[in-house]
Amino acid sequence: MSKIIANNNIVPKQRTRTGAITYFFRQWELQLMVIPAIFFIFIFSYVPMYGTLMAFQNYNIFKGFWQSPWTGFDHFQLFFHSRDFWPVMRNTLVISILKLAIGFPAPILLALMLNEVRKMMFKRVVQTITYLPHFMSWVIVAGFTISILSTDNGSFNILLHKLNIIDEPVNWLSTSEYFWTILVSANVWKDIGFSSIIYLAAIAGVNQDMYEAAAIDGASRLKQMFLITLPSILPVIIIFMILAIGNLLNAGFEDILLLATNPALRDVSDVLDTYVYRMGIQTSRFSYATAVGLFKAVISVTLLTIANLLARRSGNSLW
Amino acid sequence: MKKLLLTSVVAVMVSATALAGCSSNKNANSGSDGGASGTPVNTASASDNKAAAGNIFELGSKPLEFTFYGNYDWYTMPNWGDDLATQWIKENKKVNVIPVQSGGDAKTKFNTMIVSSDLPDVIWMDRGPDVEKLRAADLLVPFDDYLDKYPNLKTWLGDAGINMLRSEDGKLYQFPNWYTNQPNGNSGYVVNKKIYEELGSPSLETTDDLYNYLKRVKEKYPKVVPFESGLAKDGAALDVLYSAFGEDHLATFVAIRGVPQDGKLTSIFTDPVFRESTQYASRLYREKLMTQDALTQTRDQYKEKVLNGQVAVFADSSPTEFGDIGTVTLKAKDPSAGYIMVWPIHKPGLDKNKIWPGTYGQLGWNVSVITKSAKDPEAVFAFLDWFTGPEGQRTIFWGPPGLYQDGANEDGFAKFTEKYVTDHENRDKLMSITNNFQWNGNTVYIDKSKAAFEASLPEESKNWATKWQAEITWKTQANATEYVNLLPAPDSEEGIIWTQLDDMFKQVRAKALMAKSDAEVLSILDKAESDAQAMGYEKLQTFMTTKWQENVKKMKGN
Repeated sequence: MSKIIANNNIVPKQRTRTGAITYFFRQWELQLMVIPAIFFIFIFSYVPMYGTLMAFQNYNIFKGFWQSPWTGFDHFQLFFHSRDFWPVMRNTLVISILKLAIGFPAPILLALMLNEVRKMMFKRVVQTITYLPHFMSWVIVAGFTISILSTDNGSFNILLHKLNIIDEPVNWLSTSEYFWTILVSANVWKDIGFSSIIYLAAIAGVNQDMYEAAAIDGASRLKQMFLITLPSILPVIIIFMILAIGNLLNAGFEDILLLATNPALRDVSDVLDTYVYRMGIQTSRFSYATAVGLFKAVISVTLLTIANLLARRSGNSLW
Repeated sequence: MKKLLLTSVVAVMVSATALAGCSSNKNANSGSDGGASGTPVNTASASDNKAAAGNIFELGSKPLEFTFYGNYDWYTMPNWGDDLATQWIKENKKVNVIPVQSGGDAKTKFNTMIVSSDLPDVIWMDRGPDVEKLRAADLLVPFDDYLDKYPNLKTWLGDAGINMLRSEDGKLYQFPNWYTNQPNGNSGYVVNKKIYEELGSPSLETTDDLYNYLKRVKEKYPKVVPFESGLAKDGAALDVLYSAFGEDHLATFVAIRGVPQDGKLTSIFTDPVFRESTQYASRLYREKLMTQDALTQTRDQYKEKVLNGQVAVFADSSPTEFGDIGTVTLKAKDPSAGYIMVWPIHKPGLDKNKIWPGTYGQLGWNVSVITKSAKDPEAVFAFLDWFTGPEGQRTIFWGPPGLYQDGANEDGFAKFTEKYVTDHENRDKLMSITNNFQWNGNTVYIDKSKAAFEASLPEESKNWATKWQAEITWKTQANATEYVNLLPAPDSEEGIIWTQLDDMFKQVRAKALMAKSDAEVLSILDKAESDAQAMGYEKLQTFMTTKWQENVKKMKGN
């Protein structure tokens, strides 16, 4: 595999002389394989994009797209001037940054630790257990988070009580101070194993000779980790970092919707996506919802571009 | 970029999910718009003469097939003809119904069908803005020409009810479900019999009695939840408690966020009854007499507590469901255990016969509409009308004639066979399937049939829920028909105010429940009042008052 990629990397340099068309036909088998993917992206990602125009009209599902009246930036103004705008933006950013600060390094740490495990059996068991929750839907995860943390019959409260840490059950789910912690922990628990797979793969690709050389020079395991493993997987980390920053406004949707069941938590839990859902979808205000969604997309693209510019300096950018 | 855009667009479509479902039977106050305002009624009954010329479609004379869509996330229509009841209808009446499923995402399905002009023949949905939207787009078939030819709906619902259901243009487009003209409903208080007796069966009549009782429960039974609220964020026990603090103060007032006063709707936040009941509920929560999971728990957690006898008192809009299963479960272990219901609690000094913890609406729960996609709408109507009539109701409720029911008795109500009692296991199985075919429930017919039969049974074999319905709940539910269909269309100016207000109300109620002191409750409500006025609460209430007064006029006029 790596040889094929290496060869392809060399070919483009000769291309300038032979011309793009010849080049295209020379690798027709590869092009053939790309076609379905291009179609897929075109049909499902580009074609529906015309729908965002809805944000600039008063969309009426009976009249359809072409007959609905145009309203310009009305829906955007409505959103920027709504009293929910700032609290929602704040929650979106805070939750997102918390998830980034804790959820991003966590799988790297897990991967580094798993890499040090010498017993294969143990390593595999841990890997399987940690990555399984990724495949559970949030409905299920939120369901048992709620039942574990509830005050009546909640196992976590029972446990703390039996350990004599608390006298009376704590109302975890209705106290706004605990919400972000619960949300971020549940996220880390759910995705840590799955996200670590990519880092484990990257670590597996590190040249073993380097460790050997380092060991001869007397580097401890910790030193090897910091001086060999981490620098070797840095490009992967940076790429994922860029993607994560582009996703900064995606603070989460299902997880928040399902975990923040108490309306009193809305001061700390309402983010852009849940807001769009509540204001837009629940009342069929399609145009308004699309406007908020479009606003989010524009900010996200900007963030992604900035992150990429920064990363280009390290030579590991996306484009 | 593309991914993010896609995500947002798809999110718009996909997440249309929830909502539509779970409207349960609080409907009396939930729907909106539907067929209220405007033109004087009765204009349509003899309007178009073109179809009036005789020609009655006789069910079974030729095959009838139509598609049926239930506009609810939770609803999956079983296959027509797979059970004994529909099989009988299929064979004897030559009717076949083809399901169109919502796939758990009714709102998206509904919108998709409209956009692609691919509507099913019949849509089963909530009354209100969605029906009105379809009507305004000229997609529905009016029933007026059929009403006299197929008389069951007219007989059982009556003209007053039909007029209430009419749309702005004076025509009738909706076929109601579970309509009634006698009180029904289950709202009230359920008490754990064992704990109650062990504490010496104290008086439980006033709110003070209840408070003192809950305090004693908390002392004596640390593991028991003194007062279980159900899913308080949807109202549940909070709505029931509201009724305790004012004579003739219906839970509906909370649902429509308006309290009638001298023919006008006024703010709920300044309503003394609402303020006092919110303080009371907050006190219960603060002193841990009410479950601390009130705002977060799931229905399963709530059910588990009730079934384990871990609850001393609970109140809800339909507590009979868990009360019934709970009693059966507890009695299996200990014959003296179980649940009982008590007469609705009242604030000291009020007349206990003017306390209404629940309401009922003559129009019932939801409706069926026939769309213009139907090839032969008259035949479809003929079927719906037969379905809501005595023979149809008996069949879809208790199976084909000769099994658990055998035609009508001398009063016209269902005559039950012996198998109805002896073979209750299979009967319940059949009923749990046909439950999903009850699209045009005729409450009076069903309730009277059941009540007459139940009355003939000895005390110990009476059904728990039926017993308490007869003794307490049916006597304490108020008629809230005049408050139906008050909500504005969601994309109108008032509709946007309603959405914001509704959103804020839920948050305010949760915060007030969790307030640290009675004074804080009041300050939360005061702030809510000023926020609401800033949103345009008054304008909304003027709109809703008009609609309400129209209802009152329609009901009096007939």
